[in-house]
Amino acid sequence: MIAVEGVVKRFGAHTVLDGVSLTVAPGEVVTILGSSGSGKSTLIRCINGLETLDGGRITVDGLDVADPRQLAQARRLSATVFQLFNLYPHMTVLRNITLAPELVLKRPKAEVDGQARALLASVGLAGKADSYPGQLSGGQRQRVGICRALAMNPRYLLLDEVTSALDPEMTAEVLAILGKLATRQPGGAGTAMLFVTHEVEFARRISTRIVFLDQGRLIVDLPTDQFFAADGGLAHPRIRQFLSKMAPAAPLAEIPA
Amino acid sequence: MPFDPTVLTSHLDTLLAGAWLTAEVCALGIAAAFSLAAALGVLAVGRGWAGRLARLYVDVFRNVPFVVQVFFLFYGLPEVGVYIDAFWTGVLALGLVGGAYGSDVVRSGILAIEPGVVEAAKVGGLSRLAIIRRIVLPIALRTAIRPLGSVFVNLVLSSSILSMITLDEVTGTARGVASETYRPFEVYAFLLAAYAGLTYAVSLGIDALHRRLNRHMADNGAAPGVIHGAAPGVAHGAMGGTA
Amino acid sequence: MRHAGFTWHDGALLAQGLGVSLGLFAGTFLIGLVLGSAAAVLRHFRVPTLGTLLHTGLELLRNSPVLVQLFLVFFGVPALLHQPLTPVFAAGLTLSANTAAFVYFIAVAGLDAVGRDQVEAARAFGLSRVQLVRHILGPQALAFAVAPLVGLAVNQLQVTSLVSVIGVVDLTKAGDILNLRTLRPFAVWTLVGVLYFAAAKTLTLLGNRWERRLRAHAAPLGL
Repeated sequence: MIAVEGVVKRFGAHTVLDGVSLTVAPGEVVTILGSSGSGKSTLIRCINGLETLDGGRITVDGLDVADPRQLAQARRLSATVFQLFNLYPHMTVLRNITLAPELVLKRPKAEVDGQARALLASVGLAGKADSYPGQLSGGQRQRVGICRALAMNPRYLLLDEVTSALDPEMTAEVLAILGKLATRQPGGAGTAMLFVTHEVEFARRISTRIVFLDQGRLIVDLPTDQFFAADGGLAHPRIRQFLSKMAPAAPLAEIPA
Repeated sequence: MPFDPTVLTSHLDTLLAGAWLTAEVCALGIAAAFSLAAALGVLAVGRGWAGRLARLYVDVFRNVPFVVQVFFLFYGLPEVGVYIDAFWTGVLALGLVGGAYGSDVVRSGILAIEPGVVEAAKVGGLSRLAIIRRIVLPIALRTAIRPLGSVFVNLVLSSSILSMITLDEVTGTARGVASETYRPFEVYAFLLAAYAGLTYAVSLGIDALHRRLNRHMADNGAAPGVIHGAAPGVAHGAMGGTA
Repeated sequence: MRHAGFTWHDGALLAQGLGVSLGLFAGTFLIGLVLGSAAAVLRHFRVPTLGTLLHTGLELLRNSPVLVQLFLVFFGVPALLHQPLTPVFAAGLTLSANTAAFVYFIAVAGLDAVGRDQVEAARAFGLSRVQLVRHILGPQALAFAVAPLVGLAVNQLQVTSLVSVIGVVDLTKAGDILNLRTLRPFAVWTLVGVLYFAAAKTLTLLGNRWERRLRAHAAPLGL
């Protein structure tokens, strides 16, 4: 379980996260919604140890990410997909995927190669194993980013606005893959997913729970159906305002359906 | 006395022996410079005392003439009990100064890397050493290869100065041939053209290497070309003190 | 071993050597700056033959050791022309030409960085070539080239240390003389190194100030 307890994060005088608490249990698909600058991405970066905390505590299966030793362990349990893909530009697609499993998890090369090729095939990139990131489209790069994360066989998959750098067509291709991935979780011991996204409709379809961040505070943490219920999340004016802005294609009237 | 290059033919083997020594001292010096440049470049990015120390090192070796560095190593060190022969003094001196100039290039190469790429490696759980060895240096060196090549070309030119500490590399042997034949113009003109031809060939090779190493690096990660703007001081031939 | 202590005459010798180094640097750098820029302008306007000739010659100078250039001028030219040269003249000639070579390539890059559209615009308004260089190309190319020029200056200052080999009594030669007298090479070369370092750092400081001022004016052009 990922346990976020009263986390505070400041950048200079600006408090980005202000006492945020949240849990992600194995098998859950949790989406973090919130407007830009609400601290969503920072929260992800705190969980994977890219930012240090100014208060509170984060543990991944009991490992405290503030401790360098435990963080190293925790990073074997989770994997991150980034907004800007962050692929290694000097390595082939295959090497991008196999590097960490080989070096960090010490798995045999042949096995990792096989898994990587299978993952690539499953996202429709079987022929791109020996290409370089610079030769791929944005959508293809992000699909590689997803494969790279999955090759770590993570218990927790962290996805940080993974479609916001893509055009609508590419967004659709990446979301289709993530949707498949999410529905494959039986709600039991599979890979848990923590999404930061602006794709409200998508979040609604695949999430088991949705949390809402507003100006660094977590104001709502509800199962998906309750989040979109008139007496649930929608009772919050900030959330209504957010949803009306973020999902013009899905007007509020339709949402409770 | 008209220009007559044929006087050189009878001394060609002497000159070639000198050229061979130049090649040896340069090859070893460049190897040393490359390793030092990579290590210092990584250190110099850091904010701590190691970073400050690395930047101080670069500052000193970039702002003191190469001759003075060589004299210090060859004549000064024995006074405190450290004896190194002319050849290894040459290798050491080329390595030390080349490391300083090269580390600046490597450092800007590192600073130009997309931070997210390093973050991806971090959250993947790679150790700090693995990140430097497999991600940071390979990317930085790809973008830095051209300015780094200029540094090495300059090291070759600088190696002529080692003739001043009795090393009979090609410039040293040429001095001997010049005074023996009383044909200094022919000898030095030939030598000048030979150095220029060599460095031209080397820079062509570096350009080809740069293109090869960067052929996949289109628009992902560090943008090639950033380096040239970022480190103008290291542009071609700028290791003046040494050239 | 005979140890003679340092005297204050030694200080005067070093100061004189430093003066010669700085003077030689200043003189040859200015000449090189003028010649190199002129050659770059010639190339920019595609003057045939002369442009190619200059380009090849300067490329040769840039890609060969200054030490060999010094030998060629000081020993080679007199042997060929039966016309002895003084060490200072030979040093001045060599360093000026060498500086010009580096300035040329920096200036060419600077001129190329100024957009062709601006040149065309200026032409369309009827500016002459001289006016074009003076008012349009020159200032912008300079803003582009100033950082490499400052780097070059620091390097050419250090290059002057090579003239000691043909007998000019510069700072390095002064160190050499001092060394022979005191037999204290460790201290002497450290001291000489410190003096060069101080001179180079001062030059860098001045150059950076000049650069900031130039860039402040060039900023609206987006350079």
